Order: sequence, then structure tokens, then C-alpha cells
Amino acid sequence: MSAASENGFTVLRNKFRSRPGILTIALTAALALLGGSAGAGAAAASETSASVAPHTDITGETFVIATDTTFAPFEYRKDGELTGIDMDLIRAVAEREGFTVEIKSLGFDAALQALQSNQVAGVIAGMSITDERKQIFDFSDPYFDSGVQMAVAEGNNAVTGYTDLRGETVVAKRGSEGETFANSIKDEYGFTVKALADSATMYDDVKAGNSVAVFDDYPVLAYGINQNNGLKSVTDKEQGSSYGFAVNKGQNAELLAAFNTGLAELKADGEYQAILDTYLLDPAAASDTGFFGLLANSMPALMKGLGLTLLATGLSILIALVLGIVLGFFKVSPFIVLRAIATTYVSIFRGTPLLVQAFFFYFGLPQLTGQSIDVLTAGVLTLSLNAGAYMTEIVRGGIQSVDSGQTEAGRSLGLGYVTTMRRVVLPQAVKIMTPSFINQFVMTLKDTSLLAVIGFAELTYQGQQIYAANFRTGETLLIVAALYFVVITLLTTLSNKLDKRFNK
Amino acid sequence: MSNASKISVRALRKSFGSNEVLKGIDVEIAEGEVVCVIGPSGSGKSTFLRCLNKLDEITAGTVIVDGFDLTDKNVNLNTVRQHIGMVFQHFNLFPHMTVLQNIMLAPVELKKGTRQEARATAEKLLDRVGLADKAQARPAQLSGGQKQRVAIARSLAVNPDIMLFDEATSALDPEMVGEVLQVIRDLAKEGMTMVVVTHEMGFAREVADRVIFMAEGVIVEEGTPEELFGNPQQVRTQDFLSKVL
Repeated sequence: MSAASENGFTVLRNKFRSRPGILTIALTAALALLGGSAGAGAAAASETSASVAPHTDITGETFVIATDTTFAPFEYRKDGELTGIDMDLIRAVAEREGFTVEIKSLGFDAALQALQSNQVAGVIAGMSITDERKQIFDFSDPYFDSGVQMAVAEGNNAVTGYTDLRGETVVAKRGSEGETFANSIKDEYGFTVKALADSATMYDDVKAGNSVAVFDDYPVLAYGINQNNGLKSVTDKEQGSSYGFAVNKGQNAELLAAFNTGLAELKADGEYQAILDTYLLDPAAASDTGFFGLLANSMPALMKGLGLTLLATGLSILIALVLGIVLGFFKVSPFIVLRAIATTYVSIFRGTPLLVQAFFFYFGLPQLTGQSIDVLTAGVLTLSLNAGAYMTEIVRGGIQSVDSGQTEAGRSLGLGYVTTMRRVVLPQAVKIMTPSFINQFVMTLKDTSLLAVIGFAELTYQGQQIYAANFRTGETLLIVAALYFVVITLLTTLSNKLDKRFNK
Repeated sequence: MSNASKISVRALRKSFGSNEVLKGIDVEIAEGEVVCVIGPSGSGKSTFLRCLNKLDEITAGTVIVDGFDLTDKNVNLNTVRQHIGMVFQHFNLFPHMTVLQNIMLAPVELKKGTRQEARATAEKLLDRVGLADKAQARPAQLSGGQKQRVAIARSLAVNPDIMLFDEATSALDPEMVGEVLQVIRDLAKEGMTMVVVTHEMGFAREVADRVIFMAEGVIVEEGTPEELFGNPQQVRTQDFLSKVL
């Protein structure tokens, strides 16, 4: 814990040197408030400054490496810490070659996008080396020979081979070797392929009967089956491609070279084999603790997540409030230009999905501007601009719901527009707006969960990490939902009390 | 009647979109004169009144109040409006303030003397409309007649020399009309210049120096109460009066 916190503050110091900004300051203040508990979480949120300039010697440098959220046994969380073959390998290589790595656990698709937009220096995520990927990335020497294997639900005795799949749906991981393989044989065997984002979801899909089989990388599948994930493998592994560490095409050549050197050394002195054996020969005993054991084990990580959820909500709501008030006044202004600005803004942010906005600000904007953006900034930017659009409408609606006779009475007394607004209209409008404000507050808090897709380490993300490693999806999601429920109920009760007190 | 005009309206036209509500109004109102405007609903009476302090934009023509041309962009409307009190059909009291705060708001915001002076003035005005004991009440706690008397006190607080009444008794229960009319009657006696849009024909006959009959956006006929009520010249005036009297 303390090491993680220190790491968090190091990152913050680095940030101050490179690009001090309001979020950094806010984050520091929030860290001071939340104490050490938020430190580690914030580390995941603020890791940036990927080094892209060529260097001849990378000793002492720090590289941000992106990985999948959970691709056990290559990367997964155990007791809140990222572990797995990929993690052990990259850390061992870094130690030997004298550089430092900061791991960003983003999810497979997101990791690749982050690499393409130079948000990170490299990706190690159990990624197969393919000709297609070689077009956009430079790969290291292969560090693992993988292959695809099929698995079905434990109780399924009907499917024993590919021929039994006719007319059925199977599931594979989006963009993975498993999907490519499944697609290559689907016409021959007459089945449909559905793509999902992570292994835990795929296994649940098979257990729930939505899909009859899953095609996944054999080490992952083997690990999951050893963890009692409720599946069994019925076919042999297909000879597949090899995994490699990737950097963006033409960049970070020294990092790639260092990885190759380190890998060769690890293989030569047996440490490489020791790492593989740890995960593949002797899988960790499945956690068979009861619900309360799960609750106790997951609470530290979930609390970290909750801290970040509240931080992102608080910052977003504050910014959205300012945006909403300014643009709400624009909307009721007599000047057509101001009204047009506000209307355009509201149309854009109410007219596009929040998820698309989050992807745009985190992945799209850096590609357009060449300026990388950290995940908390991107998340808060997304949520505040989105909530700001709704706030604008709340403010407009509140002002317009005050009877026009009130304005007329004020103006006929010789009071100016501003004075009439301030003394006559607004006190009445605020009273009308308050319940909507509280509602928007709750909405924004819940919307933070969508930021999990860009790797923001908030509550939902932490929950996904936990069930991705232990396959206890239902129980974990219940705990996560209960935490949201408790926090939202407390906040709503508090807000309503304040509303009653000040808006009599 | 042709002495110095307090209000001078010339060729006033007002349209809401394609609907022309006022079709050329010419009127001169002298200082201290009490003018009652009568006519069927939709005749443009209220719109005419609301053009006199430019609560409604003026489409064409001129309105000159106290020498200020309201259609002139350089004229500070807020200053002009401080000389023109207005009383609305639906009172438009500020519900989030006490009666006293309602009356004190404009003098305090417009910095017409100290807060203490504003308070003293407000209390005096409340006393004058017979509501001294309601200073701390909220508008919601008052009857319609009481609300309208507070509204009159509120518009008097900035010390106007013109008062506009827009159907001030139309929203009141019959038993409360009298108390409001009494306040308006007192103001008339004190020499306040007033334009009163009303459906109370008896009241118009009693307090008006001049009665204007409007229909379909024009002034059909005007004259002293005796002339207009006693011997209307126009058919439309006769029609209207035969229905309401």
C-alpha cells in the first residue's frame, strides 16, 4: 500500500514538472483529502508522459506500458496488484536492463489504441504477432508460443468437436487470435461467431447458455478451468502464433532492443521458464472463500475505485455546474449569437452517446492534436461537458418556468435585466432547479462507471478486475452495485435535506 | 387639455408577428390627468398600456414620456420606468419575499437613499394602503385585494409621477374590488397622472377626466365621462356600452 502511494506521488511530481494544470492541482488536493487510500488509484489515473523521443541509452528512464485488464495468466489482479506472466516478464526485463515501467491496465482494444496515439510507449498483452499488426507496430522476439483452444460448459456433453457446432453460436475475444481462428472455420462447420471484450464475460456467456462454446488462447483457458470457471476443454489446442511485446512503428527502438536483450538473458539463465511454470504448471489454488471472504478481499480495491468515482463525479459536477449556469443564461439571452452557441453545445453533447464522447476525448483527441491526455482529465472532460449540456437545459428550464409577470414587475420598477434576474427570477428558479440538479448529480455519479472502458480505475473497473481474475461475476457485481446504491442513497438524502433547509 | 403633455403617443403601431394589434394610436395625456381606457377584450387596451413603458416593443410610431422618446435607443429605459409605476391584473408580487421586502426591493437596488429610508417609506406606503400590519407577511398569505394594494404600494415606492393600471381589479373577487378602487381613487385625488385600463364602468365614470374607447386596435371615440357614457357618437361605442351598462 505505502509503495503504491509513493508511486502515486512520484507520478504527480513528474506531472508538475511537465504540464501543471488545474486537474493536477485538484488531484493533489483530493489526494490530501482522501489520504493514502486514493494514492494508488490515482497512480493508475495519472500515468502519462510516455517517452517517444529516441534515446541511445534508456537506463533510468520510465516507460508507460499498456496491458489488458485481465488476460489471466498473462495479466490479472491478485489482491489488487497486477500480476501474471506478462507482468513478471516485463518487470524482470526492466530490472535487468535498468529502466522502470509503469503499467496501465486498459483492456486489449484500448491498449492498442493508446499505443497508436502514443499515450503509452509499449503494449504487452498476450498479443499475437500477425502480419496485419506488423503494419502498425514493431514487435519484439516472440516470448510465448500460444494457440487457440475451444471450451464448453462443464455439463455440456453434446459438443465434443467442431462438427457439433452446426447452427450454434460461439464466442471469441474481439480482435484476438481466437476470433480469427473461429472465423476461419465457421463456414466449414456452420456456426456463428460472436465477439466479446474479455475472457470472464465470454466464460459467463457460455455458462449462461448464450453461446455454446468459447474459442480462447489455450493458456488463458487452462488457467480459467483450473480456477473452476465452470468450463471444460474438449478439443486439442490449435497450433497458433506467438506473443510479442509491441511498440509503435518506428518508435522506441531502444526499448524494443532492450526487451529482446533482457528476454534472451532470462531464457538463458532459466528465469523465463520459472515464470511460466509459476502460472501454467502450478496455478494458484482457486479462491473458495465464501461471500464474506470475497467481500473482505475485494474491499480495499473497491474503496480505491470508489474514491476515484467520487473524485471524478465531484470535479465533473463542479465544472458542469459552471458550464450549465453560463450556457443556461446564454440560452435565455436576448442575443441570438449566445443562444446559438448554447444550442449547438447542448445539441452536440446531448445528441451523442457518452461512451463515444469518452473514446473521442481519450483516444481521438490525442490523435488529432498530438497532445496526450491522462485518463482522469479525459474522463472529467467527458463527464463535465456531457453533464454541462443537461445542466444548461435545467438552468434554462428553471429560468423559463418563472412566470414572465415576475420579470415584467421587476423591469417596470426600473430594475435592470441583471438585477431582475438576480433578485427576482433566480431565487425562484433555483428552487425549481434543485431537484433536477440532484438528479443530474446522481446520473453523473453513475455515468462514471462508463469510464471503465478507457481504463479509468473507478469502482466498476475495480469490480471487473476482481471478477475477471476469480470468475465470481455475480457476487462481485452485487457488491459493486450495493456500494453505488449506498453512496447514491446517502448523497440523495443529504441533498434533499439541504434542499428542504435552504429552499423553504 | 392641450397644455404640456406628460405622455405623447403618435401613430403607434404594434404587431405580434403578422397580427397587428395596434393600428395607429394618437393620444396626448396631460400632467395630472386621469385617463380610463375601455373596450372589448382583444381591442388592444393592455398592449397600448404596455407600450407606454415599453414592456412590449414598439413596432412603429413614437411614445414620448416626460420628454423621453421610448423608441430612441439612447434613452435609458430603466430611468424612464422609475417615473412610471405599473400595476398588473395578476399582481405579480415576488413570492419569495415578505410584503415589506417586495416594496423595499426597487428603492434599495436603485439606491434611492439608505435602507432605513426605504424601510420607512415602505411602512408609510403600507399604512397608506391600509396594510401596516402585513409588513412581515408573505404574498401567499394575503387575499387578492390585499395583494393588489401591496402591488400598488410597491410601484409607488420609487416615487413615480405616472401610474399605469392594467385591469387591476379583473382578477379580484367582487367584494375586494372596492378596497383597490379606493386606493386608486385616492391617488387620482392627489393629482397623479394615471392611465387606467378597466372594465369598471362606474369607476371610470367617477374618476376619469377622459375616457377612451378602443376597439380592434384603434381609438374609436374619446371624451369626458359625461360625453362618452351619456352621449356616445359612434355605433361601436353604443353597442359596447349597451352590453356592459
